[in-house]
Amino acid sequence: MQNIYQNPVAFAQQNALERRVKVGVRGWQNATKQDLISFVSRKTRIAIMDSTVEGNQVVGFVSSQSDAQSLTNWNGVRFAGNALKFEILGDGSTPSGSGTSKTIMLLKAFLYKRYRPETKMLDLGNLRNDPDLATNGLFSSQSTQSKIFPAMMKLASNESQLVVESINLSDNQLRDLNMISTLAQTYPDLKNLCLANNQIARFRVLEVWKNKFKSLRELLMMNNPITTDPLYRTEMLRLFPKLVILDNVLLRDENKLQQIYTVPMKLQQFFFETNELGQSSIDFVSNFLTLWDTDRTQLMALYTPQSQFSVAIDSSVPTSSVPNSDQNPTFGYYLPLSRNLTKVSSERTKQQRLAMGQESIDKIFKSLPKTKHSLQEQPTSYSVEAFSYPQVQGFIITLHGFFEETAAPEIDANKSTPNPAGGRNRRFNHGHNNAANKLGKKSFDRTWVLVPSQGSVIIASDLFTIRPFADGSWTPPLSSQQPTQPNAHPASPAAPQPQAQPHVQPLMQGIQGPTLATPSLVMPPEIQSKLNPLQMELLNKLHQQTKLNAEYTYMLAEQSGWNFDVAMKGFQESVNNIPREAFV
Amino acid sequence: MRPNSQPEESHQRSQKVRLAARMNNQSQVLETFVKKIFTFLDEKDSQQLAPFLQCFDAANSKVIVNANPFAQAALFLETWQRGVVQTQHVLTGMDYHVIPGTGSTVCSVNGKVRFDESGKDKAGQDSVIPDPSAGNPVPISGSLNSSTPAAKHRPLWGPYFGTSLQLVLDDRVLNGDQNCVISSFNYTMVYKPDDSLMAL
Repeated sequence: MQNIYQNPVAFAQQNALERRVKVGVRGWQNATKQDLISFVSRKTRIAIMDSTVEGNQVVGFVSSQSDAQSLTNWNGVRFAGNALKFEILGDGSTPSGSGTSKTIMLLKAFLYKRYRPETKMLDLGNLRNDPDLATNGLFSSQSTQSKIFPAMMKLASNESQLVVESINLSDNQLRDLNMISTLAQTYPDLKNLCLANNQIARFRVLEVWKNKFKSLRELLMMNNPITTDPLYRTEMLRLFPKLVILDNVLLRDENKLQQIYTVPMKLQQFFFETNELGQSSIDFVSNFLTLWDTDRTQLMALYTPQSQFSVAIDSSVPTSSVPNSDQNPTFGYYLPLSRNLTKVSSERTKQQRLAMGQESIDKIFKSLPKTKHSLQEQPTSYSVEAFSYPQVQGFIITLHGFFEETAAPEIDANKSTPNPAGGRNRRFNHGHNNAANKLGKKSFDRTWVLVPSQGSVIIASDLFTIRPFADGSWTPPLSSQQPTQPNAHPASPAAPQPQAQPHVQPLMQGIQGPTLATPSLVMPPEIQSKLNPLQMELLNKLHQQTKLNAEYTYMLAEQSGWNFDVAMKGFQESVNNIPREAFV
Repeated sequence: MRPNSQPEESHQRSQKVRLAARMNNQSQVLETFVKKIFTFLDEKDSQQLAPFLQCFDAANSKVIVNANPFAQAALFLETWQRGVVQTQHVLTGMDYHVIPGTGSTVCSVNGKVRFDESGKDKAGQDSVIPDPSAGNPVPISGSLNSSTPAAKHRPLWGPYFGTSLQLVLDDRVLNGDQNCVISSFNYTMVYKPDDSLMAL
């Protein structure tokens, strides 16, 4: 064995090696490993030693458990455009490591033993008296106890097979939540929680869970001193906004609760006033954007001397809790062109930044960065509404989505901006550097007013809003998106796509799913063929309002002389006499 | 053709100058109108909404909210009033084009909106079932007691959502006339924070 008196330095080194903790860092991809390590040491004053790249993370060692802990407090710190994520991967690869991995195995086995897949419940009740934990001494001392639960939670969050909606923590002699506070990070969407038979006495200890567990529906706290407090009920209502049942007593009216926290206009990805309009809108949008990304000059054929185009920059940064939102967007290329009327006050500027006719439109097009839209690769990232615009005898299409900036614009508007006031525009002269023009992703809303003309269309108006990137609200959450990603193009694995029109095909596939999901009326073909588009539209509208099936919707429309208001009135008057099978 | 184009060009220029003079005023009028729409959407008291309904072209207005069509503006306002908790809109961006020769203007608006996440609806009602054990519930400041819905409650604003609104308006709006001017109203929530209690 080592003798501290014979070789103190070696002993210290050995000791240090034994104490060091393995950590991992994710989200560093935009820079080199060395840049990351120096950034971390500069920012956090913690050195990561012996670092290596393993897959998508950098793995290394810090000198102690407390360093590792404080490193995790830096989670989310921004580096090279990304948020870093620090993880404690366990003790070093020193001999003690094998003990750790043994503990991990043990705890994993324990978790699976206590998991009930049929009820999605993780039963962590009465841990102290569990024979497995006791024989391995995991609950022998206060210090191991306080570590064992966070460790268990950490492990549980990595086990994707453990789908947990309910957790039982009864009979654990808990006085506070210090040991189990990480539960909120591991299972933020927990629905049911049992803390019965513990010693929780004060509201203050529950305060760490305020604004966590937003889906918590049922809580059991029986046999805790806290339940005798006169404010118990009120405080629980305050801490858990969606709590419905407390200690087997109904607290909230679930229907009313749901109604309050739901926007009745459920968000859809697409709206097309008619099916025909849907088809042509998608064709238009995909063709337009293909040319917009490759050769904007070709688009000039769609504009006339009366056509108008302008860009508006909405630089307001979304709340940081918006998924993937860009918290540090740059609009250097756009700002000299922006016609955001809430920001531009000069009358002259408002006039200048409205492009009318091909020549001026072409010039602004060339002043905007080169882009790539991803309609076919990520159809779920785009949302479209299209409806008729009788005043122009055409229609209006609005597209929400994102694009990637791929290169600087042909014309730099910062340099070409006429500067009539001499040095007045100092913002652009002074301190204008290229860093402000870094390329990235942007979200946008674009509205076209289209007038059909000689088998083609003319763009009467083109309003383009550019804003910081953020996931669209219609985008499915990442967890459910990942497994469906390969299914986004159901036909592509079977037969290779013809290369002729790749931009239209896949988009349609992406769109088909959601459009079919929205209630849309299908008439028997012999009836459908006799209907004009207006009648079809009326039927669809009636169907959506009344939820009647095709046969009854048609009857209702016919009886009311194809007048929507008359039909709705008739429906409302006789709604109680309509048989159940008339509804979808 | 050359001699002809000369006067036309100068005519266009003078038109542009006149247009420019009017434009500043126009865009301010429009901005005021858009802000007014937002104020109406944020209105708690349904009694105050009659003038908003009058802004819509009763006969053929199209109202689309989150890609859901509404047959009539009145139906939309009723759904909004009854089914959505109190909101707060902020205007962050706006641009518009007057489409020549059509008497109409298309306007694109960006904003953000947050919801009252206190658990009460616009009428101040919440979902809490009165406590059967307590005879006289003790009112607590900012409490969740449903016993006093009439008491003025302070909204608990949640995080901001992003919104995008496209309007087709009658040109008359630019002269300050707001009667039946909205012929299309396309309102979409474009981004959502994941820490909101609201479900879209």
